[in-house]
Amino acid sequence: KMSVASDSPVHSSSSDDLAAFLETELDSDSDSSSESFPIGQAHDDDDAQVSNHRLKRQKLEYPEDETENVASVTFSEEISEASSSKVPCEHPGTFGNMCFVCGQKVEVTGVSFGYIHKGFKLQQDEVTRLRDIDMKALQSQRKLCLVLDLDHTLLNSTVLRDLKPEEEYLKSHTHSLQDVSGGDIFMLEFMHMMTKLRPFVHSFLKEASTMFVMYIYTMGDRPYARQMAKLLDPKGEYFGERIISRDDGTMKHQKSLDVVLGKEKAVLILDDTENAWPGHKDNLIVIERYHFFASSCKQFDHRFQSLSQLKSDESEPDGVLSAVLKVLKQTHSLFFQDGGEDLSSRDVRSLLKQVRKEILKGCKLVFSRVFPTKCQAEDHPLWRVAEGLGATCATEVDASVTHVVAMDVGTEKVRWAIREKKFVVHRGWIDAANYLWKKQPEENFGLEQLKKQGTDDVIVEKLRDMVVDAYTLSNPNQVHEDVILKARDACYMAQFSFSTLM
Amino acid sequence: MKDVEGTCSGRHGFVVAITGIESVGNGLVRNGTAFVTFPVKYQCVVFRPFKGQILEAVVTLVNKAIWDSSEAGPVQIFVSKHLIPDDTEFQAGDMPNYTTSDGSVKIQKECVVRLKIIGTRVDATEIFCVGTIKDDFLGVINDPAAA
Repeated sequence: KMSVASDSPVHSSSSDDLAAFLETELDSDSDSSSESFPIGQAHDDDDAQVSNHRLKRQKLEYPEDETENVASVTFSEEISEASSSKVPCEHPGTFGNMCFVCGQKVEVTGVSFGYIHKGFKLQQDEVTRLRDIDMKALQSQRKLCLVLDLDHTLLNSTVLRDLKPEEEYLKSHTHSLQDVSGGDIFMLEFMHMMTKLRPFVHSFLKEASTMFVMYIYTMGDRPYARQMAKLLDPKGEYFGERIISRDDGTMKHQKSLDVVLGKEKAVLILDDTENAWPGHKDNLIVIERYHFFASSCKQFDHRFQSLSQLKSDESEPDGVLSAVLKVLKQTHSLFFQDGGEDLSSRDVRSLLKQVRKEILKGCKLVFSRVFPTKCQAEDHPLWRVAEGLGATCATEVDASVTHVVAMDVGTEKVRWAIREKKFVVHRGWIDAANYLWKKQPEENFGLEQLKKQGTDDVIVEKLRDMVVDAYTLSNPNQVHEDVILKARDACYMAQFSFSTLM
Repeated sequence: MKDVEGTCSGRHGFVVAITGIESVGNGLVRNGTAFVTFPVKYQCVVFRPFKGQILEAVVTLVNKAIWDSSEAGPVQIFVSKHLIPDDTEFQAGDMPNYTTSDGSVKIQKECVVRLKIIGTRVDATEIFCVGTIKDDFLGVINDPAAA
């Protein structure tokens, strides 16, 4: 039998009663306090009877145990009395499977917040309560919440074995991991990876942290997320413990704000993948993907060379992060403008829409041969996007029209536009405004640009034919015209993502 | 011996240190390898926190509006905001902390607090505890950054 000496109030001695008491304590659930009392009290009586004897024996060895023992017994009695007179506990959350307010074993339900502490779960009511507290704290600090994605948004990582020979030169340019400040490319041998931070990211984080409490939310695993946080935020001042990885998410392959302790109407999200946030599209700012490494381009089916192969990079002052920062600043100042106390009615989602509507404000667009004839023009996604950007859309030309959006030169509307000296642009002009949050010069999106596909023309033609065949097969009832339009659209969408690289 | 120190058993708690070996039994040769397994009876010091126990612990993590986590030797104790006195407020910043309304008491990382354990949960390898500092005589004992 093992003899036990421990810090607990129950001391070890050779008394049979005590041994029996210990056995019961160890065997029973430590959560249930009722079992120990009868034995404890019996022991107390016993103690009194043989107290003299025991004192003599133990004084030398365990001087403080006698008093400690008595004290612990009375103390335990107090606990049982106190807990029975308390208001029934609401069990707002659990740690392990214990309620962290009353310590009882409860059924484990609620949302898991593993990134805050292992085994920590909160009930929905408690989450709402905490979000309200958070909202007040944020408002007093004049801050909102910002959730940031990692891959292709703030940085680009590649596995070392996917490095192309032209990229080997990067190995000599990597920054030391001992002092990451000021560095932007890192070799992580122990993870077999190399990571490149997006240009402007340090300034971005610094400025954003004055306006937002920031979270990282990535589809990578927890060790990866922690390591990237160390590179972006070596002092831990931007993110703290607010690092959510796929191990902390509640759904596979999807992200959600349920594990973010901020009110939804005060949270903005920055991510390169729109479909990762199916429930929160209104909070989302979609950012252009950052492809530095060749392996990253390949993953998204690019045919152009990556930035690392071209030995170039995104522009710092004029790059994507800089543009997004401006949008964030605008939304933030709209939220806190007028400095009024009643900010509870403000919603960052509607403010984001408002900022977006400034982009193509004042433009009136007419589409020519862009939508399939059978489809209602107003329902087409492109029409919706244009309206979301603040433009007015129409189906017929008139004097107030400013732009004609077309894909072919030979249409009537295009000829009208040229006569009336109106702008003629292809749909990329709208898409670019959507991604870059800024109206683009119309000259860069003229129809002549469409033809300039360089050496890939032959491939494009072949691709187009393949897509047309595929569409014809799957839509046998559709008018041939419409099929061609759909096919051209699809080709176009695929190409557009390449052209923004330039 | 080193393998056992630092492990935790649900029944007995954390094995802190081995104090002596009582006996070593007969060895059994393991199938397939040349290793022999000996059953060893030993004495050791264990640490097993009980509900109602009062301990002193070092604060390791303070989190907004939720909790602080303290360590008492090998055990991590979780104290929720519900069980921190009502008049303390959370202050965010470089060193997040909980401060009383009159500013006299600050709970932050590296502080020593006296807390009471209100529940323990034991699984095969770890002991989880939930604690409170809301009762009399509990709270900060020593603040290394005290003014």
